[in-house]
Amino acid sequence: MTLLDDKDERFKNLFGKAAVFVLLAALGMGLALVWAGVKKDAFTAKSPVHFVADSGQDLSVGMPVKFSGFKIGKLNTLTLDEQGHVQVTVDIDSKYLGLIRQDAVMSLKKEGVIGDGVLEIGRGAEDKPVLASGGRVRFERVNGLEQAVVEVKDRIMPILDDIHQTLHDPDGDVRQTLKNLREFSAEMRVTREKLDRVLGKIDGNINSEVEPLLHSLRLSAANAETLSGKLDYELPVLLNKADTTMENLRQASETIKDAVQRSAPQLPGVISETHATLGKTQKLIGDTQEAVDTLSTHWPLKSDAPAPETGPVRMDSHD
Amino acid sequence: MTKRGAINLLLILPGLLAACGSAPAPRPPLAIEQARAADKNARKALRDGELLRAQHDFATTLVLQQSLDDTAGAATTLINLATVTHQLRDDEASLASLDKILQEKQAIYPPESQLTAAFRKAVILTDLSRLSEAEPALQYAENLCGKKCALNFGIEALRARMLLLNGDAEGALALAQAVSKQSEAGKEEQANALRVAATAEEKLARSASAMQHFQAALEMDKALGLSARIGDDLNGMARVSAQLGRDSEAAEYSRRAVLVDEAHRQSVPAP
Repeated sequence: MTLLDDKDERFKNLFGKAAVFVLLAALGMGLALVWAGVKKDAFTAKSPVHFVADSGQDLSVGMPVKFSGFKIGKLNTLTLDEQGHVQVTVDIDSKYLGLIRQDAVMSLKKEGVIGDGVLEIGRGAEDKPVLASGGRVRFERVNGLEQAVVEVKDRIMPILDDIHQTLHDPDGDVRQTLKNLREFSAEMRVTREKLDRVLGKIDGNINSEVEPLLHSLRLSAANAETLSGKLDYELPVLLNKADTTMENLRQASETIKDAVQRSAPQLPGVISETHATLGKTQKLIGDTQEAVDTLSTHWPLKSDAPAPETGPVRMDSHD
Repeated sequence: MTKRGAINLLLILPGLLAACGSAPAPRPPLAIEQARAADKNARKALRDGELLRAQHDFATTLVLQQSLDDTAGAATTLINLATVTHQLRDDEASLASLDKILQEKQAIYPPESQLTAAFRKAVILTDLSRLSEAEPALQYAENLCGKKCALNFGIEALRARMLLLNGDAEGALALAQAVSKQSEAGKEEQANALRVAATAEEKLARSASAMQHFQAALEMDKALGLSARIGDDLNGMARVSAQLGRDSEAAEYSRRAVLVDEAHRQSVPAP
């Protein structure tokens, strides 16, 4: 039945179109749910494993269960039984159950020093049977920081008590040692007074013996001053004598200079003659050398030059 | 020959001439050259009569040769150094140089150097009239020589001289005459032998033959230009002339000897 006369073409098959739209939305929602289920391991087969904990502290539903660092399940239920024990059930992916043996231990650990708690299940002994679905494992807590602090406190407190006892015991070693030190200090004071007296005596002796020595040193210094005074007086005299000697030397030098100047007019002649003689000699040597060189380079003499002497120089029976 | 052949010959000839020329001798190392130069300088100084310079240069040569392990050269230089030192009248130093060869315990010096050293040691010791010391040195030289060496006639002439100095004039005369007749002995040793023979004859009062031998020795020494020996010969002739009673002749020879000696002293540079 048509309630309205749909004349607009756009409203034709409106119902069908709306139905397709709703179906697509429902399908999308369904796919999203499936995807979420897959991500949440909702479709993975689980095997329950049970253990009994001493308390439910640090345990919570949904806490991951890890095997070798990989998440293989999660804590499912946490209940307190009639005996006051905490019954815990964890769901472990069935495909990993074959890796766990019956003697495996479930440990509660902290991720890091102050991180969240996490259940870690071990592998167990290889010779034991594989843990079956619904099986039980042993549970233990791994000591965290708080437990460590408690342990340290438990160890340190008795020691502190002992120290307190030792320090306050009147007959203890410490008290006795302090007492001895006090007595030793008093004795040391007496010893120091004695030493002061001895040093005072030594001081007096040194003064009585060193003073004469200092006196003689002063006398020596006075003598040195006298000598210096003498030198002050005599040095100018010596310097005057040296001046006189230098003056004599200067006069002798002038005398020699005069003599040289007087003979100077004769020197050029002698020098020129010597020059001429030297020139002639050099020319002669040069000519001889030139002649020898010239002859020695000529073929007839070149090969007939006498061999250099090598044997002993001449000496006969009457030399 | 065609024109083309002549051109080819002209081109090839310089190449052939160059190929014929021998390669220049490689220059010796500096140290060897220095040693040779020092030796050459020493010999030149000795020829020039510069005995002190010769002595210094021979000493330099010796050090250089010893530094090069040239034992044969060092032995020769030791002998030369001893000879120059003897000429400088420092006979003890001269004998010390020769003893470096003769008293060396290891056989590092050649036998001919030892022979020469022994002979010269004997000559120097004879000059010093140390005949008892000269005898073993001469004996050693004779043993090394075995009458076959070049020094044989010198050794015999020295032996004759030593015989004469020891008073054996007859023995000296016989030996000296034998040497004087050997032309292989050389003019110097022949003249020396004649002088020994003449002196022996003078001792034996055989004046005529002595004069004859002195005359022969004088001629030889004049030819050799040995002034000191000429003086000895003239003095001998003066003595023999005096023996013969020819005093004017003796005075003439004596005067000539004096003139020769004076001139010789002036001509020889002072050491």
